Amino acid sequence: MPVKVLVVDDSRFFRRRVSEMLSVDPTLEIIGEAADGQEAVEQALKLKPDVITMDIEMPVMDGISATRRILAVKYVPILMFSSLTNEGAQATFDALEAGAVDYLPKRFEEFSNDKRLAGQKLCEKLHSVARVQRHPRFSKTWENKNMPPASPGGVTTASRLVKRSLHQAHRTVAPPSTDEPRIRKGQTSMVAIGTSTGGPVALQKILTTLPADFAPPVLLIQHMPESFTGPFAQRLDNLCRITVKEARDGDEIKTGLALLAPGGQQMEVRRNGDRYFVHIYPAIAGQNYRPCIDITFKSVASNVTGKSLAIVLTGMGADGSEGAQVLKKMGAQIWVQDEATSVVNGMPASVIEAGAADYVYSIDDIAKYLAQKV
Amino acid sequence: MMSMEEDGELLQDFLIDAGEILEQLTQQIVDLEKSPGDKEIINAVFRGFHTIKGGASFLTLEPLVALCHRTEDVFNVLRNGERAVDSAIMDVVLPVLDVLKEQFTQLSSGLPMREADPWILDKLDELASPEGRKISRGGKPVAVKHNTQISNKKKKRNPVKPSSTDIPRELNGSESLVFTARDNTQPDLEVEEISNEEFDALLDQFQSVRQGVVYGQQHNGTEKPGAEQPGAEQPGNFPIDNKPIDNKPIDNKPIDNKPFNSKPPGSQPADDVIETGAAPGVSEEEDDIITEAEFDALLDAIQRSNSKSDLALSVNSINQKGKGHYKPTTADHPTVTDAAPPVNKTAAAASGSAASGSAASGKSRDTNQAETTVRVDTKRLDDIMNLVGELVLVRNRMISLESLLQHEELSKVVGNLDLVTADLQSAVMKTRMQPIKKVFGRFPRVVRDLARSLKKEVSLELQGEDTDLDKNLVEALADPLVHLVRNAVDHGIESPEEREANGKPRKGTVILTAEQEGDHILLTIEDDGKGMDADKIRRTAVQKGMMDEEAAARLDDKECYVLIFQPGFSTKEEISDVSGRGVGMDVVKTRIEQLNGSVSIDSRKGRGSKVIIKVPLTLAIMPTLMVMVDKQIFALPLASVNEIFHLDLTKTNVVDGQLVVMVRRKALPLFYLRHWLIKGAAATALPKEGHVVVVSMGVQRIGFVVDQLIGQEEVVIKPLGAILHGMKGLAGATITGDGRISLILDIPGLMHSYARRL
Repeated sequence: MPVKVLVVDDSRFFRRRVSEMLSVDPTLEIIGEAADGQEAVEQALKLKPDVITMDIEMPVMDGISATRRILAVKYVPILMFSSLTNEGAQATFDALEAGAVDYLPKRFEEFSNDKRLAGQKLCEKLHSVARVQRHPRFSKTWENKNMPPASPGGVTTASRLVKRSLHQAHRTVAPPSTDEPRIRKGQTSMVAIGTSTGGPVALQKILTTLPADFAPPVLLIQHMPESFTGPFAQRLDNLCRITVKEARDGDEIKTGLALLAPGGQQMEVRRNGDRYFVHIYPAIAGQNYRPCIDITFKSVASNVTGKSLAIVLTGMGADGSEGAQVLKKMGAQIWVQDEATSVVNGMPASVIEAGAADYVYSIDDIAKYLAQKV
Repeated sequence: MMSMEEDGELLQDFLIDAGEILEQLTQQIVDLEKSPGDKEIINAVFRGFHTIKGGASFLTLEPLVALCHRTEDVFNVLRNGERAVDSAIMDVVLPVLDVLKEQFTQLSSGLPMREADPWILDKLDELASPEGRKISRGGKPVAVKHNTQISNKKKKRNPVKPSSTDIPRELNGSESLVFTARDNTQPDLEVEEISNEEFDALLDQFQSVRQGVVYGQQHNGTEKPGAEQPGAEQPGNFPIDNKPIDNKPIDNKPIDNKPFNSKPPGSQPADDVIETGAAPGVSEEEDDIITEAEFDALLDAIQRSNSKSDLALSVNSINQKGKGHYKPTTADHPTVTDAAPPVNKTAAAASGSAASGSAASGKSRDTNQAETTVRVDTKRLDDIMNLVGELVLVRNRMISLESLLQHEELSKVVGNLDLVTADLQSAVMKTRMQPIKKVFGRFPRVVRDLARSLKKEVSLELQGEDTDLDKNLVEALADPLVHLVRNAVDHGIESPEEREANGKPRKGTVILTAEQEGDHILLTIEDDGKGMDADKIRRTAVQKGMMDEEAAARLDDKECYVLIFQPGFSTKEEISDVSGRGVGMDVVKTRIEQLNGSVSIDSRKGRGSKVIIKVPLTLAIMPTLMVMVDKQIFALPLASVNEIFHLDLTKTNVVDGQLVVMVRRKALPLFYLRHWLIKGAAATALPKEGHVVVVSMGVQRIGFVVDQLIGQEEVVIKPLGAILHGMKGLAGATITGDGRISLILDIPGLMHSYARRL
């Protein structure tokens, strides 16, 4: 059964381009198109697509509202098409918060120079988004009151899923604990958090619960395009009590500050005496992730004295797993997000499989323990 | 840039869409100028450019992307209320449309695209960021719901005890503050903490000033006071809404420009204010704006006060909510250092509902209904129309056969065929219909530009824009109408001074109307300008040798006006840069007549002129009056036929060498069609009596003597073959119901070649 796609965009031209790209893949089938948000809602409910591509700027109803409306009734994985501008970034974060699974830049050459390849990537992305048939709606507190409740099947009991992932991990390594973390408050010298798909919402959830006097400095590595990290840092900063900024080369890592690794670049920690700084440099060809979680994690492992804490949140792929192993060897504690609350469990699972994870928590617990225990 | 070969089809696809959007944009911009505050339109325009940009960037058409992107940014600023639509915007957006149009043309003809003039791009950049900086979105729905968390923020570095976390809310929508920086020379002062005491002192200052109703501002050495204070004349513009007053130097922080309650101080009962505050977003519908630079200045001021206690701060609009004062004891009055942006947090949440409202509010606008429409090449429509024409002819033939055979069954079938054909014909006609708006849409622009260059004040009113007419007609009418409208502005409307001197309002009015009248469309171009001077026209006509003085004197005023349609007629004033560019009035007339239409003028000196154009709804099928002249059938366009009467041909007179007959005490020039159309007919004896068909040509009425009247028939115009092509007086040919060929007469052409004197 091919994956049924609903394409939503007010530009007929763009809809046709998307159709063309998808037509290459026989396992994707476009079952409908909508030219505005209102239509999108109607079509989504009528045609029951497996996945929706959603434009943001549209007449009658914008993509974000349409996403909310659709998810209010029925969960469908939604892939946003965003423009890589400041505006586009803000809108995209809103869309993610509204429940969209992931996004792609609308300007295809921004994720691939070769148009054919871009089409391929789009298809892959759609498949992976379509697989997210259960979007974690983290908790009541997280949920916007205006936001529709999650679909009935959306929240699977965390424990069962954790058990499952534990079970999977069990074969090779010691399972991570779900107990309260054994960590001494005030003794952590640095917290590094790496995440990918689903990360923007998860990070927002965690960081907004941190008190203003949260002691350890925080490093954030979120896979994200270059033009998005600035607005994202800004947005987090607006919402958080600690300061969040996009890291610039030479920034000092300090208490009360969370530095977000800039897109398209890599971030490493440098030590100078008892002070820490970030070193930012352009990603080189061949580096799949920009920023790359492993790179930052490893630099934390080799430069930071004292106990550090690394957290791997929701995300596709396995970035962070290597870094977590290195960190663990250096005595750092590793937490990962559980499957139930992860949009995509790939990264946390890979850390568990590598035996590097000390604890596995729901996003709420991560936020809670981070705020209370660290 | 991509190569045309490989992406030609994509490009074509893009151009079709983009062309349509551009057309809509042109209309929307025009509408916007009429109602500059209309958020709907601004949004629509924003999306238009956004969509073109999207397609263009897909095809890597950089010049297009560059232009659209900037324009989109400008409209983003507009829709966020960070700028109002004014003539400065219009002055750059209109050229943008021109450039786009040009770029599309270049694209479609495979030429390299010309980049937009740098001045346009620069200007757009300037408009897109009011103070030379990027302002991020203000009025968008941001689902933020962390008010309380925010207000607890910065505890650590600003450990004032958080007795109230609600201060920002208290500020909501009720106060307006304007701060002006003194000595604002270091705009980006970095982290510089102030102590709690200092902060409290600062708040006290706010408070006292607020209570003291200080109105006005001080500019002490601010770099560019005027530029930074666009709202200087109404200084109640500082939106505090729901936000913590947070003094962090904001570089790229979004400033939420929620408009503020800008009522003058004291004009609003305090209780009112509280209620407004409690319902966020309610009071935020006005257009006051604080720019980022202003805000920076404010921050600097606060910061400066820290070290120099040199804060120049004024507050107005003291709508202190009942309490009369405001408690400055919270944790959320952070240090100068801090990272929280001053605005846009809770306000964004507050505006959430409003924003989602705006999202849902576009329903009235046309939506892109690609799913229910099919794009058809107009050529195909033309073909269908032709085929329907053929069918009409067959139908006519059947009808005449049926009347011969008198067969009952056949009658039924023919009756049915007749019905179906008529329906089909009107259905096909409808597919070709377009609203005249398409032509009218360009006039506001034409008038605006022209009025500007002539330094006149003109307002244009459009009526009946939705009147539908045949696509070909719409296109064919465009040029003549443009000319007439330009004429009206150029020659009709006087300069504002002259108008005032004559006791008219400074602003002239041009009214453009379209309405359907039966199977005709009536277009009028009316101005309230100086009107036409019949005597001057008479004099000119005589000077140009078009007629002698006596003949000129005999013309009544209406007939005089028509003279301006004569080729070569031009009064001195008529030669100007403006009309020099377009087609002449004679060409206007010729064009309209080619469309089987007519033009007439009505004018009153000092009061204005009115040009009336009458054209048939469609060109392809024409109702005609079939007449017989010496055993040949001719078709006269029914549009020109006024009346028919039977005449005793002996009761004619000859006046000034012209055969006339008195009809209702008016001399009607009379012509025997046979003289013109039948070879050797001149010599034959004239019948004693005959039928006279009175036709009108503008205001002129003429009688044609024919042998026999056959009746009304709808005919399909077939072009004359190569041999007959260009024959004067013939519009084409058609096949009549009885299968014969008939020539369709072109009355103006006939008159032109045979009766020049008229």
